[in-house]
Amino acid sequence: MKKWQCKVCGFIYDEAEGLPADGIAPGTLWADLPDDWACPDCGSVKSEFEMVEID
Amino acid sequence: MIPQDIADTIVDAKAYAAEKPVDEAFKFLRKEMPLARAEPEGVAPFWAVTKHADILEVAKQNDLFHNGDLATVMTTIEVDQKVRQLMGGSPHLVRSLVQMDNPDHIAYRRLTQAWFLPQNVKKLEERIKDIAKVFVDRMADMGGECDFAKDIALYFPLHVIMETLGVPEADEPRMLKLTQELFGSQDPDLNRTGAEETSFEEGIAAIQATIGDFMEYFNAITEDRRANPREDLSSVIANGQINGQPLDHFAAMSYYIIAATAGHDTTSNTTSSGLWALAERPDDFKRLKADPSMIPAFMEETIRWGTPVKHFMRSATADAEVSGQKIAKGDWMMLCYPSGNRDEDVFDKPFEFKIDRTPNKQLAFGYGSHVCIGQHLARLEMRLFWEEIFRRVEHVELAGQPLNSVSNFVCGPKNVPIRYKMR
Repeated sequence: MKKWQCKVCGFIYDEAEGLPADGIAPGTLWADLPDDWACPDCGSVKSEFEMVEID
Repeated sequence: MIPQDIADTIVDAKAYAAEKPVDEAFKFLRKEMPLARAEPEGVAPFWAVTKHADILEVAKQNDLFHNGDLATVMTTIEVDQKVRQLMGGSPHLVRSLVQMDNPDHIAYRRLTQAWFLPQNVKKLEERIKDIAKVFVDRMADMGGECDFAKDIALYFPLHVIMETLGVPEADEPRMLKLTQELFGSQDPDLNRTGAEETSFEEGIAAIQATIGDFMEYFNAITEDRRANPREDLSSVIANGQINGQPLDHFAAMSYYIIAATAGHDTTSNTTSSGLWALAERPDDFKRLKADPSMIPAFMEETIRWGTPVKHFMRSATADAEVSGQKIAKGDWMMLCYPSGNRDEDVFDKPFEFKIDRTPNKQLAFGYGSHVCIGQHLARLEMRLFWEEIFRRVEHVELAGQPLNSVSNFVCGPKNVPIRYKMR
């Protein structure tokens, strides 16, 4: 499971946690998020995210 | 079209200070005409975008709705003409991230973006904790009564951002004064002239002089950091490159100005709004003291409650449609953040201060690629400050009537007289 960070606002998408409040189940891989999915904090598109290692 | 009295109210600096007239005006607009044309006296026509969903919709389409083509902050026709005359046709007195569009915006933002991401800002936690202690110590030294806005909240975020920028402590009062002159230009207690009413020529001259002072100051900082780079944010700006070239002088100066001003005034306003709310709600204060795990939700609510930035303007680069409303190319639009943050369709009982509000989709930091670059630093500062307050202050109540600054752009409490008991 990986984490992806929005380069615009810093929001972290954690594949292990998903976003249950937005209907995205825990364990949902980044690749399986819909192409039109946008950062919940700033609306940036998937291409504005990068994979990160967070302590 | 929006009724004249409502249109005049939503641009009236004094109405923002009084809060209620603006709340009532936006409540009417959200219900009756959520995205409608306003033609306030002396101001070019614009669309008032008052619903939360519509603000997000406009804010995230940065190519369709530009920041920089027209004035980014609401201004009168007279002032706009004068500014363009002074600035060679540009509607802006500075050229910071706020006034930029792509491709410049993304290039300039990337320069400091990594610096402001949570994992980097977290490195400052221990130092900011120490600074928070110093300011709560100051409250203790003041013997149980102070003007929280003027004595404490103004200085804590100021000190954090100035240390971050590498500005010496001795220069902080000067930076504070210049920031207040810039954002408080409509407030006789804060502006440069000190006059109750100023002509628009005097107003612009004062703002220009303030910007000139900032530029003179940061020009010296740039020279120093180019010669002797440090670990501070000023060194990142001074030595930054865009497309292999150093930043152009005006953009670099504007970068410092936005960091040195937006970096503290908004955070002080939000903190003061939060303390004002708590002083009127002793039970909430007790709950937060008893359970500090509630602080993040409370803090988010203080951001929604205060919403210190009252608007930013956008303009359409092509004919567009938002919520069924046709917007023509070149039209000017006001993103009304206080209205979005009281939207009944998004927030349950929006006029109630709820320390456990979840979810809290407040949009005070903006949305889209122009979302506040310093939001994580602001949240970190406020969380650490509140943790210190709830650890050491036993009780707080108002000792007089709080007052907001007079501004239709950045506005918040300038006086919050309180009486309190320390542990």
